[in-house]
Amino acid sequence: MLTAGCDIGALTTKAAVIRDDVLLGCEVVPSRAKAVQSAADVMDKLLARMGFSYGQLDHCISTGYGRNLVTFANLNMSEISCHARGAHWLIPSVRTVIDGGGQDCKAIRVSEQGRLVDFRMNTKCAAGTGKALELMARSLGVDVAELGPLSLQSKDPVIMNKPCCILTQIEVKRLIFEGRDRADIAAGANDMVAREIMHLVRDVGQENDIAVTGGVAKNAGLVKCLEHYLGVVTVRFQVDPQLMGAIGAAVLAADRRSWTVGGQSTSGAVQ
Amino acid sequence: MSAKAAIIDDSGLLAFEILPYTGYPQEAAAEVTKNALARAGVIRSGISRFLSTGFGGKAVPHSDGVVPDTVCFQRAVKKLNPRAKTVVNVGGHSFTVFHIEDTGGLGESAITDMCTAGMGMFLEAISTALEVPLGDMAGGASLPGRTPFIDNQCPVFAESEAISLINEGYDRYDVFAGVTSAVANKIAGLVRRLGVIEEVAMVGGVAKNRPVMAILERNLGVRFADLGGVDPQIVAAYGAALLAREGCSLDSQRLSDSTADRFRRKGTP
Repeated sequence: MLTAGCDIGALTTKAAVIRDDVLLGCEVVPSRAKAVQSAADVMDKLLARMGFSYGQLDHCISTGYGRNLVTFANLNMSEISCHARGAHWLIPSVRTVIDGGGQDCKAIRVSEQGRLVDFRMNTKCAAGTGKALELMARSLGVDVAELGPLSLQSKDPVIMNKPCCILTQIEVKRLIFEGRDRADIAAGANDMVAREIMHLVRDVGQENDIAVTGGVAKNAGLVKCLEHYLGVVTVRFQVDPQLMGAIGAAVLAADRRSWTVGGQSTSGAVQ
Repeated sequence: MSAKAAIIDDSGLLAFEILPYTGYPQEAAAEVTKNALARAGVIRSGISRFLSTGFGGKAVPHSDGVVPDTVCFQRAVKKLNPRAKTVVNVGGHSFTVFHIEDTGGLGESAITDMCTAGMGMFLEAISTALEVPLGDMAGGASLPGRTPFIDNQCPVFAESEAISLINEGYDRYDVFAGVTSAVANKIAGLVRRLGVIEEVAMVGGVAKNRPVMAILERNLGVRFADLGGVDPQIVAAYGAALLAREGCSLDSQRLSDSTADRFRRKGTP
């Protein structure tokens, strides 16, 4: 059985294909203005590389922004279910999933069977999102990808006392001018975002193991801060953690397919 | 978002300067001071006392002290219009509302300093995203009923909301009008929470934004107090200059302590 998942993010669009409980391939492309175009782009690219056609897919689920507009998908599901399912499918001991995206951040609780239990999401404020890291990195004059490695060199991280990433941009500039070490400022930025994420995790109820997914997981400094606040070491994935939504969607597609043809899902119950 | 400097002598305001900046606040402060000195035709050593205030007040080089902006606003507004009892300050990065008691002292105050909602920065961010110049806003009034409701209060989220609305076919000036009323209603909310005691004076950069002012006047049911034509953006700088002239030799710490008991925070949203 061949199934696919497609996750349209604010900044990047991801796709994954799985066959009989094995991950076959993944693809990431930058998101375009229209969600439908981004979805078609990434799926065309992935299927062409794997040598499959749309007709061969048994089931396909889309998720993310504009997920209901994707014409080639059989179904659309919330990215919360997809991230939970993807992380639990790869590492079954996962009970809490932190999904740090470009414009949102979620703390998701998963049951032993991979079922979605509860989640918390930032709704009003961009603190704690990838966008906050991006704005801070811009003020610091570095690429957002450099923020993690740079912060790991810090000996004395600064403490940012305002949660708002817009107001902190000025604070960052003031600190640079005062001659504070860039690594210390980068560490302060990661610390500030990690604190916001920690509040979501505490609110939903922390249960180990914890997985960090989404683009934010690529920032090693931030993951280190999070581990410090949560008091545990988070699990590490073999695949790019940004792909979790797409992988989860593909797994959910396989689950769905097994139900509809009367078979049993190999990986337990799902939400 | 901008640095302001005001120079006064015994007779009144000599010169002022406003400098929008994106770089370092320290550099902007030095530059705006230099420009104001040049405009007034005096040299730095001719200034008897130099106080700084505001979001980046402690970043101002060679200042004789840092004073809280609320105290500056109170001093300046009292001077400009003694009838003003409620002061609303909305700048790029500041948003405070406070009362002036009948005795002239500081009354209740409400400050939002943890969130950009309602601040000028919000308008600036959306104007950049929509490519609608801030100066054009007054002319960009849209037809009634075509203005979308913007429910996000964070500029990061409101920016994507605004872009989605444009993609849905809304005119960008209409979207901007929606953003403008979102900001105005946010400001009105905090003013109402503290209590509207007439007359109400509006200061800070956002007071130059006619559409926001019009919505606020309608929402609060007041006419804003006349501040004698002084640029609303320099009121804090003018207040700091007044404090300096009054020989307010208090260092920032003592001044903060003396006003602390009168500062009763109403909390942030």
